[in-house]
Amino acid sequence: MRRRPGIGGLQTAAAARDQYRLLGENVAKLRTDLMKEQLSTFRSQLEDFARKHKNDIKKNPAFRSQFHEMCAKVGVDPLASNKGFWAELLGIGDFYYELGVQIVDICLATRPINGGLINLEELCKMLSQRRKGAREAVSEDDCLRAISKLKVLGSGFEVITVGKRKLVRSVPTELKKDHNEILELSQAQGFVTVEEVERRLSWSTGRATDALETLLDEGLAMIDDGHRDGKRRYWFPCVSSVSSFVASETL
Amino acid sequence: MQTLGELKLPQFFNYPPYFTLQPVRETQEKQIQLWKELIIAYCRMQKLFIIGLEEDFPLFSNPAIERSLNYDARSAFLSALVSDGRAEWTDKGHRQCLILWHQIQEWADIILRFVKDNGLEDSVMTLEEMRSGVESRGTDIHGMDHTVLTRALKLLENKGKLAIFKGTSTDDEGVKFSV
Repeated sequence: MRRRPGIGGLQTAAAARDQYRLLGENVAKLRTDLMKEQLSTFRSQLEDFARKHKNDIKKNPAFRSQFHEMCAKVGVDPLASNKGFWAELLGIGDFYYELGVQIVDICLATRPINGGLINLEELCKMLSQRRKGAREAVSEDDCLRAISKLKVLGSGFEVITVGKRKLVRSVPTELKKDHNEILELSQAQGFVTVEEVERRLSWSTGRATDALETLLDEGLAMIDDGHRDGKRRYWFPCVSSVSSFVASETL
Repeated sequence: MQTLGELKLPQFFNYPPYFTLQPVRETQEKQIQLWKELIIAYCRMQKLFIIGLEEDFPLFSNPAIERSLNYDARSAFLSALVSDGRAEWTDKGHRQCLILWHQIQEWADIILRFVKDNGLEDSVMTLEEMRSGVESRGTDIHGMDHTVLTRALKLLENKGKLAIFKGTSTDDEGVKFSV
């Protein structure tokens, strides 16, 4: 004879379920506690590390970059908040905000010359010149980090790679593939001619002049009609800045 | 850094495209601005007052990069100075330009200061003395352009600071200060 479900059976089942749930909760809690403990240990270790190497982090760009890398690997962003303990401990947030402001400043100031596209290397040089008084040295890595923080502002600051160089863009214009290729080509001498673009990239004359005209209109290129051979040269201040050109001349 | 005379040349002076007048407005504005500053600085350093568009002018070419400004570019830069009130065409054909690295009013102030510094408040002086005398040595007045000096003095005369009297030749033109 089959036992029919009675009130007693239901109660037993319910009690068992409760027991299981309780046990489950206990286990979960135990795990969370353990995790929390590990995390706090880890955090205090990281803090200890940061405190111990505070000066290195502040003064040595290479060390700072490695520290950032380590933080990134464990999912900590020391720049995420200016109020967090990192900021208090290292003042590292302020450092990058300050860099950010100075980068914006330089980009705006040089825009009439380079059309809003600047060589990262040059930006770094100008930044160091400007910060002569500050104790901390600034590396390209620091610049990149500061720029990545500027993205939050939605102001269109971006780092693009053209050929071997990194360029920082502070204008919202989108560079088309053709323009990128010309910029890349120009890196050899600092300038290109229509003829050269046609030959090296196997383009039609129309395509080459079109792209060059656009770059000119955007303020990214400057024309030079003064060479003996009478061929118009298109110079790109963003790849061969005025100052780097002078430097290479004197070498 | 490259120098011309005693003037430290700015970096753009070595960048070839700055010697071609740029077709795009914004780029051109920046280019003109840089050249204007350079021309004024150079003239001040060299105490130059006149630039002839068709004459050789050291600032308008850079042998190191084999570039020189063509007529249009020179004319554009000088025209920009003219519209700023820092220069004036001396002829109708716009072939010669008077560079006012101090504007006439500034020159007048400089002359007043010179008069006071040297205790010449009630003295009489010829223009030639002012331009080449011992008193003005080391000041901007020394070697000053005759036309510019006359105009600055006229301005002061209108304000009652001095009286100009003409001689038989330009050599004995003089002023009596009454500051």
